[in-house]
Amino acid sequence: MKVITVVSAKGGVGKTTLAANLASVLAARGRRVIALDLDPQNALRLHFGIPLDSIDGLSRATLAGDAWQTVMFDGVDGVTVLPYGAVVEDDRRRFESHIDRNPQWLAQALDKLGLDAADIVIVDTPPGSSVYTRTALCASNFALNVVLADAASYAAIPQMERMIDAYATPRANFAGTGYVVNQVDQSRQLTKDVLKVLRNLLGNKLFPGVIHLDEGVSESLACDTTLIHYDPLSQAAADLRACGEWLTNAVDSTQLSPRSVA
Amino acid sequence: MSKPRARLLSEAEEVPSRLEQFVDSRIWSSRIFTTLLTLFALTTMYFVWTVPLAFTEQLVFACVCFAFALAFRRLRGQYATLVMIMLSVAVTGRYMYWRLTETTVWERPLDAAWGLLLVSAEVYSAIVLMLGYFQTAWPLQRKPLPLPENRDEWPTVDVFIPTYNEPLGVVKPTIYAALAIDYPADKISIHVLDDGRRPEFKAFCEEVGVTWTIRTHNRHAKAGNINEALKITKGEYLAIFDCDHIPTRSFLQIGLGWFLRDKKLSMLQTPHHFFSPDPFERNLGTFRKVPNEGELFYGLVQDGNDLWNATFFCGSCALLRRTMVEEIGGIAVETVTEDAHTALKLHRLGYTTAYLAIPQAAGLATESLSGHIGQRIRWARGMTQIFRIDNPLTGKGLKLGQRLCYLNGMMHFFYGIPRLVFLTAPLSYLFFGAHVIHAAAGTIAIFALPHMMHASITNSRMQRSFRHSFWAEVYESVLASYITAPTLLALINPKLGKFNVTAKGGQISKDYFDYAISRPYLILLVLNLLGFIAGIVNIYLHWDVSSEVNTVLLNLAWTTYNMLILGASVAAASERRQVRTTHRVEMKMPVMLKFSTGRTLACETMDYSEGGVGVKLPGDLEVPLHEKVTVSLFRGDEEYAFPATVGFTAVGRVGLRFSALTREQEFEFVKTTFARADAWTNWSEGRTPDAPLRGLRHVLVVGMGGIGALFEHLFVDARNWLTTRSPDVKKLKTKD
Repeated sequence: MKVITVVSAKGGVGKTTLAANLASVLAARGRRVIALDLDPQNALRLHFGIPLDSIDGLSRATLAGDAWQTVMFDGVDGVTVLPYGAVVEDDRRRFESHIDRNPQWLAQALDKLGLDAADIVIVDTPPGSSVYTRTALCASNFALNVVLADAASYAAIPQMERMIDAYATPRANFAGTGYVVNQVDQSRQLTKDVLKVLRNLLGNKLFPGVIHLDEGVSESLACDTTLIHYDPLSQAAADLRACGEWLTNAVDSTQLSPRSVA
Repeated sequence: MSKPRARLLSEAEEVPSRLEQFVDSRIWSSRIFTTLLTLFALTTMYFVWTVPLAFTEQLVFACVCFAFALAFRRLRGQYATLVMIMLSVAVTGRYMYWRLTETTVWERPLDAAWGLLLVSAEVYSAIVLMLGYFQTAWPLQRKPLPLPENRDEWPTVDVFIPTYNEPLGVVKPTIYAALAIDYPADKISIHVLDDGRRPEFKAFCEEVGVTWTIRTHNRHAKAGNINEALKITKGEYLAIFDCDHIPTRSFLQIGLGWFLRDKKLSMLQTPHHFFSPDPFERNLGTFRKVPNEGELFYGLVQDGNDLWNATFFCGSCALLRRTMVEEIGGIAVETVTEDAHTALKLHRLGYTTAYLAIPQAAGLATESLSGHIGQRIRWARGMTQIFRIDNPLTGKGLKLGQRLCYLNGMMHFFYGIPRLVFLTAPLSYLFFGAHVIHAAAGTIAIFALPHMMHASITNSRMQRSFRHSFWAEVYESVLASYITAPTLLALINPKLGKFNVTAKGGQISKDYFDYAISRPYLILLVLNLLGFIAGIVNIYLHWDVSSEVNTVLLNLAWTTYNMLILGASVAAASERRQVRTTHRVEMKMPVMLKFSTGRTLACETMDYSEGGVGVKLPGDLEVPLHEKVTVSLFRGDEEYAFPATVGFTAVGRVGLRFSALTREQEFEFVKTTFARADAWTNWSEGRTPDAPLRGLRHVLVVGMGGIGALFEHLFVDARNWLTTRSPDVKKLKTKD
């Protein structure tokens, strides 16, 4: 089991969309993929055709003591989806304090699923620092930091690096951090300049391509699906496929490092 | 003499085979041993050539030789080629010996005149065949050497782009590409040497940041232009590009490595590659299917020359070491082929030259056949001039191998008269009954056929990627009538004739037949046709004399072959319409289209030109005409976006025309297209490989097509003339 946590210091960088589409790409490459939503917005499921009025999810299941298998959905593109679920405010706080007390909560819960060594779990997290991001980083083998080619994203990189250093880096089975630049429009000079700076700063941690800005991404969400499904011919879909390949290589290259497999 | 060079350069040697161990053994460095062995080989060959054989014996000898040649043809590797060359030399030697000793008995003065001409032409061909074998026996296939990792150790380079009267639009891409060359900015300096002294060039150069250099006179044309620039620059090396040869970004890094290893290296040449069809390719429809006229030289001859340290300088797409060029007094100005003469002078001082067969620059081919012919005339005259004023067979400093390579380089251009002789030889018999070869048809066949067949399969093996069989005949036949007079004049007096600059980048507005340029082939064609008719009549009259009929048949076959070769020449002169002023270059590379809706498409290009790109759409998509699109092209990590509109659309593909580009965008476009390091590397991919009979069939089909088209043109032009009384014959200048 490989756990990939998708993080970002800033909101609105297209993190959930990226997580959903990468899950879809990896599933298309023949891997069993679980898309796991740790963001109370509960939006990841929308990319996989799960009805808007469905309230089931891992928050409710955890509080009720139910097994996660009861809230797993078969989403489009063959991805297994674990939604966050819809909870009232009090339950959410109870859930968060439960996670806060036990940062290893996610790792333990995933171990109980009994997945194969090659299976992939993609965890979507809320932006910035939170109990969700902490527990996700504590369980993850790889962190994927989503940034935009703008000044604010650039400035926020150290903040997320500190969190990763605190919760993930010390573990032997943590393979490292990767960066991907999302929503790129290279007809803007500023974008080009920031991209150059990011490439210098991040070196080979950065996905060599970019994910292009594409209206098809928003349209695909409106149609309850992933971009990979909605417009496979678009540049953004091509970028996502390339990113998926890069991500697979990065994650699989850690196979030999000592780690416990559930 | 050549062995150490070959061994030094061959990189990928794993475990040497027993043959290679034998070849590499130290015994070969003993001069006495090699001299004795050479003498022994020559003596043996002398006997093979001269021993008299009866008819059947010669027949058996010829069959056995050819069987061996066919057997070795199946083996791979250069040693098998050497065996085929040896067999070809043996058979050709026997033929020439027999031809010169047994068949040169003539009864009448007319026979003697024709016979002497024919036998001289054959001797010339045999010598050029042998020299060609020698020159290309072992192409060196040099690989590029990397520059040191530390960029501080890289030498300084001046890039020269000489121009005279070419429009700025033609020169711009070259300047942009020079700016895009991957090299430290403080070590490269780009100079546009403008002999036209044009203000728009000055303005453009200042805007993009390259040096605009002029002089007060235009003495010695391009060579003089470069020599003046040498005086005001100081880079350790010079890279020279004709103003329409667009370099790739990797040019300097690929080319300079050898200069740092070989301290005596004075010049490194790379191929002249053309991304537009030359007149042969355009008019015969052979673009990228059949190797063009220049490919033999840049693919094989130069690579063969490299083994003998005899690579010629070709004036463009080359690197030179400044100190050595200055030592010989700059680029040579005595002849109209300043480049070849410069290399000769460098060789005479003991410096080496090198060839890298990797296209690292590309340009436009000459547009019209008359322009193409004009250029070849210049080369032929220039080489003849060198032969006269600085003969490579004599004088100091050259090794035997170099002298022979230069000799072939020059003799090659004397093919005019022999080619004309071959095209008319059968007529002497068909018209006048001249017996030019004193032998029976059968005997001629058992001596001459093996000679031709061996030459054909051996050359086909050596040249398979660079010249298809029998195409040399076509190229030479087209040029023969034009090249003969200038080479003869230059041989008599090197000063005769003037320098002319080839015009490029024009357009041919409609199909037309160039009567002016094809007059010689038309005359030859008509003569051969009359000869053919005369032959038929002859057979009819002498039906009962079998020896007469046989000889006539032999000559009829020859004249038919000649007619078809001339038909192909005529086809080459039938100018096809060319409206496009910019040329499309086929190239597959990733491209992103972004539409006004914000949606994108990931596609591949099919081709590009200066004005836009052709894109293959995935699936059976279609894009509406006149739609505005942003086109993104990539170079490594970098992406460049260009505004464009849909100018052509069909299911699955779309033609995009760029809107007005800024200077910056023009530069970026050249960077992502023409200047790509891999822009020209897969050029001959997907070509049918050569086989002698396939080559022959193709040439014959083209020849028949040419004759057919000629009658069509005649008919159309005659009708036009009758109806309007003003023939629409467009004449191009054939000479300047």
